[in-house]
Formats: sequence, C-alpha cells, structure tokens
Amino acid sequence: MTLRSGRDRLPNRMAMGAALVFGLLGSSLIASLILGGWRILGEPRALANLLSNVWDPLAGHYGIGPFVVGTVVVSLLALVVSVPLALGTAVVVSQSVGRWVKESATQALNVLTAVPSVIFGWWGLQMVVPWVRTHAGGPGFSLLAAGLVLALMVLPTLALFFTQALARVPETYREASLALGGTPDRTLVRVILRCALPGLLNGLFVGVARALGETMAVQMVIGGNTLMPSGLRDPGATLTTQIITDMTVFPPGTRGHAVLDVMALILMIGMYLLVRLSERWGRLS
Amino acid sequence: MRRGRTLHRLAWILMMLSAAGFVAVLSSVLLRGFPDLTWPFLSSWPNEATGGGGILPELINTVVMVGMALLVTAPIGIAVAIYQREYRLKPQSALQHLSATWLAAPTIVVALVVYRVAVGWFHWPVSILTGTLALAVINLPFMVSVAEAAIGGVPDSYRLASLALGASRFETVTRVVLPAAASPLIEGLGMAAARLAGESAALIVTAGVNVSRHFGLFSPGETLAVHIWYIRTEGVALGRDTASAATGVVLLILVTVLLWISRRLARWFE
Amino acid sequence: MPEIRIENLSVWYDRQRALKDITVTVPAGSVMALIGPSGCGKSTFLRAINRLIEESAARFRVSGSIHVADLDVYHPSTDVNELRRRVGMVFQTPNPFPFSIFDNVAYGPRLKGVADSGALRRIVERSLKQAALWDEVRGKLRRPALALSGGQQQRLCIARALAVDPDVLLMDEPTASLDPLSTSKIEELVADLRRRYTILMVTHNLRQAARISDFTAFFAEGTLVEVGDTRQIFTAPTDPRTEQYLTGRYEE
Repeated sequence: MTLRSGRDRLPNRMAMGAALVFGLLGSSLIASLILGGWRILGEPRALANLLSNVWDPLAGHYGIGPFVVGTVVVSLLALVVSVPLALGTAVVVSQSVGRWVKESATQALNVLTAVPSVIFGWWGLQMVVPWVRTHAGGPGFSLLAAGLVLALMVLPTLALFFTQALARVPETYREASLALGGTPDRTLVRVILRCALPGLLNGLFVGVARALGETMAVQMVIGGNTLMPSGLRDPGATLTTQIITDMTVFPPGTRGHAVLDVMALILMIGMYLLVRLSERWGRLS
Repeated sequence: MRRGRTLHRLAWILMMLSAAGFVAVLSSVLLRGFPDLTWPFLSSWPNEATGGGGILPELINTVVMVGMALLVTAPIGIAVAIYQREYRLKPQSALQHLSATWLAAPTIVVALVVYRVAVGWFHWPVSILTGTLALAVINLPFMVSVAEAAIGGVPDSYRLASLALGASRFETVTRVVLPAAASPLIEGLGMAAARLAGESAALIVTAGVNVSRHFGLFSPGETLAVHIWYIRTEGVALGRDTASAATGVVLLILVTVLLWISRRLARWFE
Repeated sequence: MPEIRIENLSVWYDRQRALKDITVTVPAGSVMALIGPSGCGKSTFLRAINRLIEESAARFRVSGSIHVADLDVYHPSTDVNELRRRVGMVFQTPNPFPFSIFDNVAYGPRLKGVADSGALRRIVERSLKQAALWDEVRGKLRRPALALSGGQQQRLCIARALAVDPDVLLMDEPTASLDPLSTSKIEELVADLRRRYTILMVTHNLRQAARISDFTAFFAEGTLVEVGDTRQIFTAPTDPRTEQYLTGRYEE
C-alpha cells in the first residue's frame, strides 16, 4: 500500500531499513568476491591460466579445470542417481490414498532434509568408500563415492519438492482422466507429470543448487586430489572442497586466496543462473 | 488384477530403494554410536591430542552459536519479509533475486567472505564470534524466505478486514498478520535452527576445530558437526569412528528435538 | 444404448455404510435425476457405477451388483478402463486439463490409440458440436481450455466425455458452480442428449430435476427412499420423507 497514515511512517521506515541492510549485506557479499578475485582476473593471460589443469598457486599456476570438472561430474552423477529415486518416492507419496501416509512421509522427508552433511560424510567413509574400493577398484576415495554420497544427500530435498509439485495437481484432473478410461500409468504420465512439470523443474533446480554447493559430505569422500581425474574411480576435488582445503593455506591477500574468490564467484554465478532459470521455467502457470 | 500400473510399481521400488538408503545412513551412525553414548562422554572435555574424550563444550558451543545467530537474524528476516509483503505493492524483484541467490550460496562461499572481513580486516580470531557471524550470514536469507512464505500465506481478506476497521498498516501487521503467521514462522525457526546446528563447512574455517578451557566469545568454538568431521578425518585415537558416531547420534538427536519442539509449538499457535 | 441395472448395492467406507441396499434400474436412453440432502450418498452411488470410488478411498467395500447392459461392473474379469470408456462422467466443478481445447477433447481418443490427426480432428469437431460448444470455439482450438468461461469449460468437459463414445453419462451436479445462463445451456444440452445416452444426473436443483428428467430417485441417509416417474414423484410422492424434502421441510 502506498497510502500511509502518519502512524505508519516509523514502522515503514524500520522495515525499509531492515530491507536496506539486507540488500547491502547481500550485495557486499558478492562485491567482496569480485574485489577479491579482481587481482587474478586483472592479470595478463588470466583466463588461459584459470582454464588450465595445473593447480600450483605458489608457482603461479592456478588452473581450476580439475575442480570444475569435479563439481560437474559429481553433481551430475548425484542427480542421475537421485532424480529417479526422488521421482519414484514422490509418485508413491503423492498418489497414496491415505492421508496419514501422505502426511507422515512428507514429515519424514522434511526431517531428512535437516540431516547434517557430516552424517552423510561419515556414512560415506564407513560404507561407500570401502565399497567403491572393493567393487570398482582404486583408492575408494573417488568421484564415484562423492557422487553416491551426494545423491543420497540431495534426495530428501528433491523428493520433497517433487512431492509438493505432484500434490499441487488438482485431484479432479486425475479423476477426469481415470473416468475417461485412462490407466493409472497413463494418467500419471499424460496428466499428472505434465501438469506438475513447472514444479518438478523448480525442484530439480533446487536440487542442482544443493549438489553444486555441498561441501563436507563431498570433501570427506572425494580424496582431495588436485590433478585432473581420468575416471570416476579416481580421487578428485570440487570447487567447494578445494575452497575449504586451501582457505587457511592461502591467507587473505595472497594470490592463492584470490583464486578461491574466483572459484566462489563462479559458483555464485551458477546459483544466480539457477535462480533465473527456475523463475523462467519453474513457476506454476 | 489391475492393468496399467507398471510405472506405479516401478515408483514403489524406487521409493523402497530410497528408504533403504536412508535406513543405511541413519542406522550405521546410530548403531555405531549408541553404545558409546554415556554420561561421561556427554559431560567431559575432549582430548585434544587424540580426538577422543567427551563433547560437553561442543554441545554448549553448538547451542550458543545457533541461538545467537537466530537471535540476530530472526528479527531482521521478519522485518525484511514485512517490508516485501506488507509495505510494497509488489515485492521488489531485485531484492528477491538477491535473496534467492544468497539462499543458494554454498555455505563455504559465505565463510570465505566472512573469513576475509572478520579475520582478515578486523583481525578477529577464529572463534565463536566469527563462527556466529558466519551462521548469521548463512541464515539471513533463509529467515527471509521462511518469513515471506509465512506472511504470504495469510489470506488478504484478514488484512482488508483489519484495514477496513481503521487499523494502520503497522497495527494490521502486528495484530493480525503476524499472529496468523505465527505457526509457520515458528516451524521455520525450528528448521533454521536444525540447519545451522548441522552446519560444518563454514564453521571449520571460522570457528575452528578445537575448544578452549573457558568459554568466551573470542575463544575457538568447535561445534558438534565440526567435531564429527574432525575426529573422523583428522583424529588419531583408536576409537575415533565410534566417538565420531556417538557425536553424530547426539547431533541427530539435537536436530530431531529442535524440529519436534518447533512443530509442537507451532501446533500450539495454530 | 444400454440400461443400467443396480441390484442390492451397498458401499462401506471403513466401517461406515455409505449406501444401503440400493436396487434400481435406469431404462435405456432415459434421464434419471438423483436428488436428496447433501451427504446422502448420491455421489458415492454415481462413483460406484464407474468404479471411481476405488481411486479415492483407501478402504471401502462394495456388495451387490451393477450391470451396464450386459457388462457386470464388479465382475473380476471386467476391465475397469474399458468400463470407464463406456461410462462417461462430468464433475461438479468444471475440470478441463490445463491443455489446449483440442488436447482436452482428444485426450480420451488418444488413450484409445487414435493417433491419426484427421480422425482426431473429426472426433473433436463432432464432440464439440454435440456439446453445443463448436460455434464458440471454432478456429480457437489451440487456445488454453482454462481461458474459457465456467459454463464453456463445463460443456468442454461434456465434449471430452462424449469423445470416447460412451453409452452412459454420469453427471455429478454439473451446474452447481455455474450461473443461470450457463445452467440453462447445459440443461438444453442434456435434453438434446437424452434418447442417445442413458444419463444419470445428481442435482440439488429440484426444478432442474423436474425439467429435464424422465425419472427421479430420492436418496436419504444412504438409502433409496423412492424412485419413479418424475411427474409422479413431484406431484404425488408415496413416501412422506420425499414430500417433506420436496416441500423444504426435510430434517437432515
């Protein structure tokens, strides 16, 4: 409301002040990354150096190729595993007839989204790493292990968003399709999934963001290898795990730290793109 | 027998697989950790050298840091949401993009910035205070989104009824909108607390991986989640897996209790 | 064009009996109106005929039998999807899918496997004409169905039901959410469709029942109180409860 009485002026100012503080804090978060990374980005041949595969900041080589590859491969692997599982879970939960099943399953998923990442990391060290070592070979600490742990980690979030998206499809659409002689499967594919598509995409983008940004669960099982991995069985590193590894090694002000800022900036640009994508495709019509 | 349920059967199998995965994760931690969950473990200091010992200071640090971070961010978050939803005709889209991107920010990126500002510029030590700052910056956009969802869920007819009775915007917000949004707000606070209690990446670099003899804002403040990571990956004690799992059990209980209490309270306010 | 024969039909949800021992026959090609206070089991009765109750209730039990022509609805070998293709349904609030007008009407035929676009176009045009909607949407078939008015949406739903060539139409208060003008259009449409389809229609509007139906069945508390020729029911009901309901004195 633009029209305000005098009584409203002070509270309005306070709310506006809070919004201003919030906006400034957020923008300075981004600005700080740009400022910090500028040092590196301003150097000659910075792009070629960044895009190379050699990570040795002390010697002036700061190729983040292996980490970008690590982040992409691990996230992709996690999503390939978890999206079908989440979709299956969401279909069962949202199509179940009993209210009790629906509510308690949603509640359980809600609690699971809050399970700390170190718990998943602990489990990864305990079970996934040895499993990869015996069945796939290699040291066990690997992109594969990281992808599997991450898959389970993003699964509750994905399943929760998918369930909500499917539950938002009006019950009468389902009934109309069934009443026309559509089998449950065809009703699911041709009406429910189709109508829920924006919501499903939105959930997918949130899942991608969580996968890209996850740090500890991945750090514990990926092996922290800065060389370009040549396969899923090889240890590697992601943008986030490399930031946490090198953050205290290269204190603020050094060139190494500036590269970390660049890596963080890349992640933030990715997040911004995901936000815009989900705005474009992920809204219910 | 009903035909045309193949996909539904497939979905059922996929759900069972997912459930099996979670049971595997939780049971492996719980089974390993429960036997070591003793009173001395909960009430004594950790052994710095080996990574063994108890977890009392970690427990205190976690509760204090999460509490302080929430105390700072909850009012700001609610105020921002009120501004966006009550004082503007249309929520400002630039602020929404910023908020959404910030919310999606990896916590380690937040920690990178907080570390530079607090430790690099202001020469704060790696401490409880720095850690709390990191938690606050992580939580702020979450608080805004929780509050916006809660306030946005209040039907417009409530506002119109209040305004039509001659109440100001502010009176409408405090007497009608916030009470009506109390239940989801409290549940959101619980979710925020659980999220922060489980945070590890940002705290490893801002709050540190050890504890001091005396509690203080400028002393290092390892939390439960960080402790789990630290003794499991860097510890040298013989029983490090078990001690780490026992800490994991405590953390899981803490998170569950936070969620449960907030839910009960939310019901109360419904 | 089949008759619908219902014998000793009872439906339980959990332990609660929603329908008690209903026996009634709807003659082929006639319109039967189902009237009665809300919660008396009319909708359950309708949904028992196309077995849609199976999809919305976790625990239920059906006893007795329903025959649509010679098809035994609850026989184990009956294909429920085949049954539902023969028994069309129109719901209380218009529920077109959020697709285009064309895709809505073509949904049923496509399920049956009709893929030829020419054939689909013919079916869509025929169904929309039958539902008296063709003149209003001709040339706009690619528009979203949700952009139509409520009355048009409901006629679109009728067209969608007609597109699979059913023999029977079940209508669950099809005009409950519509304005008077749209209501009278639907009523005209039903009058048009009688003799070609056997129609069962739940309604709360007594005058509507009197206007368009051949037979009227009065339900109360899960039982079929009285059924008969509409004129007879409205002028000389035999059961005192029917008379109370018709004169607005029925205590629920």
